[in-house]
Amino acid sequence: MRSDEAAGRPAEQAHWAAAGALGCCRWWEETGVSPSRPDPVRPGLVVLEPAVACAEGGGDGAARESELGPSPFTFRSRRIFLQKEDEFFEDGDVHRHLYLQNSITSVGEVERPKVSEFCCQIAGCSQLFDALENYEHHYNTFHRNVCSSCKRSFPSSHLLDIHILEWHDSFFQILAAKQNMYLCLVESCTEKFKAFSDRKKHMIKVHGYPSDFRFDKPKKPKCNQKNQSSHDIEMETSSCQKEANDTSCRTSTESMDYAPAETMEADSPSMSEEKSSIPKVQQRPSFSYKVPTTICFGHGSVRGFKNARKKK
Amino acid sequence: MIRNRNRVCGVEEIKAKRRQHERALRKARKEKQLVSKRLPRGLQGDGEDVEIRETSVTQEEIFQLYQRIQRGSDDRLAALCSLRRVLHLKEAQQIFVRFENSIRVLNGLFTSNLASVQLQAAQCLLKLSHSDDPSVSLVCLPATPYLLTYLSGQSAKFTELCLYILGNLAAENEAVRSQLLVQGVIQALSVCLQVSHLMELWWRLRLICCHKCCRRRKQERRSSFLEASLTPRLIRLLDLDSEFGMQTTVECAWCLHYIVSSGVSSECMISQGLISQAVKLLIALGRTVDSGTTDGVELLIYPVARCLGNLIASDEQLWCKRQFHDSDLLQALSVFLRGFLQSRPFVTRECLWLLNNLSAGDRQFCSAILCHNLVPVFLQLIPFSGGINTLVLMLLGNVAELGLEYCEKLQQQTGLFPALCSTLSTADPEAARMTLEVLNLIFSYCQQACARFANQNGILALEMVQYHSNDEVRVRANFLMDRYFADQDV
Repeated sequence: MRSDEAAGRPAEQAHWAAAGALGCCRWWEETGVSPSRPDPVRPGLVVLEPAVACAEGGGDGAARESELGPSPFTFRSRRIFLQKEDEFFEDGDVHRHLYLQNSITSVGEVERPKVSEFCCQIAGCSQLFDALENYEHHYNTFHRNVCSSCKRSFPSSHLLDIHILEWHDSFFQILAAKQNMYLCLVESCTEKFKAFSDRKKHMIKVHGYPSDFRFDKPKKPKCNQKNQSSHDIEMETSSCQKEANDTSCRTSTESMDYAPAETMEADSPSMSEEKSSIPKVQQRPSFSYKVPTTICFGHGSVRGFKNARKKK
Repeated sequence: MIRNRNRVCGVEEIKAKRRQHERALRKARKEKQLVSKRLPRGLQGDGEDVEIRETSVTQEEIFQLYQRIQRGSDDRLAALCSLRRVLHLKEAQQIFVRFENSIRVLNGLFTSNLASVQLQAAQCLLKLSHSDDPSVSLVCLPATPYLLTYLSGQSAKFTELCLYILGNLAAENEAVRSQLLVQGVIQALSVCLQVSHLMELWWRLRLICCHKCCRRRKQERRSSFLEASLTPRLIRLLDLDSEFGMQTTVECAWCLHYIVSSGVSSECMISQGLISQAVKLLIALGRTVDSGTTDGVELLIYPVARCLGNLIASDEQLWCKRQFHDSDLLQALSVFLRGFLQSRPFVTRECLWLLNNLSAGDRQFCSAILCHNLVPVFLQLIPFSGGINTLVLMLLGNVAELGLEYCEKLQQQTGLFPALCSTLSTADPEAARMTLEVLNLIFSYCQQACARFANQNGILALEMVQYHSNDEVRVRANFLMDRYFADQDV
């Protein structure tokens, strides 16, 4: 690797070698330790000169390194001398004294080693996981396909692409007037539609999707940031289920493209930014204004969208 | 007393007591007060007289005993015996020491020329010295010159008692230890060592060494005596087949650990054969554990490991001239790593530290690690926190640092990259940072490793840490991503 790069740029070869060596010297200065001198902080600690000096410095050519800046890596193999009072020895010392003081009985007490945990590092999300697979699943579901404009996250890149197209692409509306631009959400289906509602009908009829599919929201003309952040909330599949169960009316075809905006706005100030378990935004698609007002559904009659009640 | 407790309490209570005890010990250690007083095994239970075990006593009774003792003649011995029997009680101890001249009298009896009287007096002193209350135990101090003198005596039982008393006193505080040193305790013990080999002797020695070595750096020439006579003896006794049993060997190991970790010139120790003896012992222990016995073996493993670890860290040049085969030692250490992980993880941790010291910058040792297929053993330890995963990563770093051939072999290990990916995502930023260091070393030497890493879903793991809350992790992750995977489509 090194030789290849160096050969490819013969003019820089000498420069690279010099830079590498220089980089190496700089390191010693930076860390303040020179080989074979005891570490002033920990007397008795001798830092070895590493077998290969500056692996990082000599890695790729100097040209590339200068683009990326100096290498931040600082590992050096070293022998570690530990004082007898060092914390590292605590468990062993305690064990010995327990034994001396006869506290180690034959009850078969064992200590189990601690297993490391995984913590989601994304700012604002601090979930803990006990297994890597769980963490990966979480990350892939919630942090992978995120729209940079409105911060909504989607379970797949296909849905993200469609979202960006429909919500954040200024050309989209223009083009949609002339041709069928609304893509079917099912990846393998290549159908396109003229309007949002047409696509929705197609999804329900042909693909059997529920009318309140959460990833199929029409774009709101007056939506503000708060409402959109509802998707950021850790979504439990159970809440999805709940909505599906709550919906008494499956026949709603229109999902009230614009009207809900009003309710939404009315409700939005009271909606918390994140972590509200069932945001009101989710409720709207359950109700269709086509249902006659005389019919009353359970949970206290909600007549249409104007009085969208908190379901919880 | 343990027996009484077991009769009354259930298993849960025993465990709870133990946890409480453990907490107290940890606290004591933090305050640097971790010492244990001891009684000879025979006296821990009920002593010689099983039937009489007083539970309470009045001041009047003790006073009477005291008077009988003072008066002398035949009654004295009986009175002493009775006194001995009650002195395990706290109240009795406190009452007795407050009597005027009581200690002088006791000491006087201790130096009596009547053996039976002497023995009983010694036992009384022992009980007093064992007390946790300094106002009680320290009253024995005036007896120390005699205690030291009697160490070179002929009676084994009496010497044993003296040793225990001295040991308990030494456990008290620094001032006592200094006084003992001045009174020539090391010399006295040394003489005792050659005559008889008692476990309590070592323990006593350990306490002294512990103290003495702290002060060693301030005193230039004190070391010579210790090194010339004591250490070789200790080293010779570091032997599993020693006729004096494992307990003695354990105490020996602790003494040597204290001596080594005090920073004494290790050249002397190495030339006296400490390294080879320690290695031989570890290898023998490895075979023992391998054959199925693990009970109590760890008590010997980790003091020896500490000894060896610090010895190597203090003088690597002499280590390089070693004579034994790495593979045997590696084999033993890997047995310990696996064998104690689930029961005494600190043993695993300390052995990993030793392995780090053995392998840092050492081509021969790292080659042995690769040849004897130890990397899978290390990888099995990676899921564990509490210092274990960071040490494993340091080991991998030590190997990778050595260059192309090592990295090539390393990256061929199945399971390496998945394991590294999992540590990358742990909550512990230190582990994540170390993983990135290791990856950097491997990538910088070995081109194929990048491709292999990518094929095993490494890029995802790397991406996940690009937004890590810890600066150092983030910077390194971004650097790696930019340098080696810039062309990969995210």
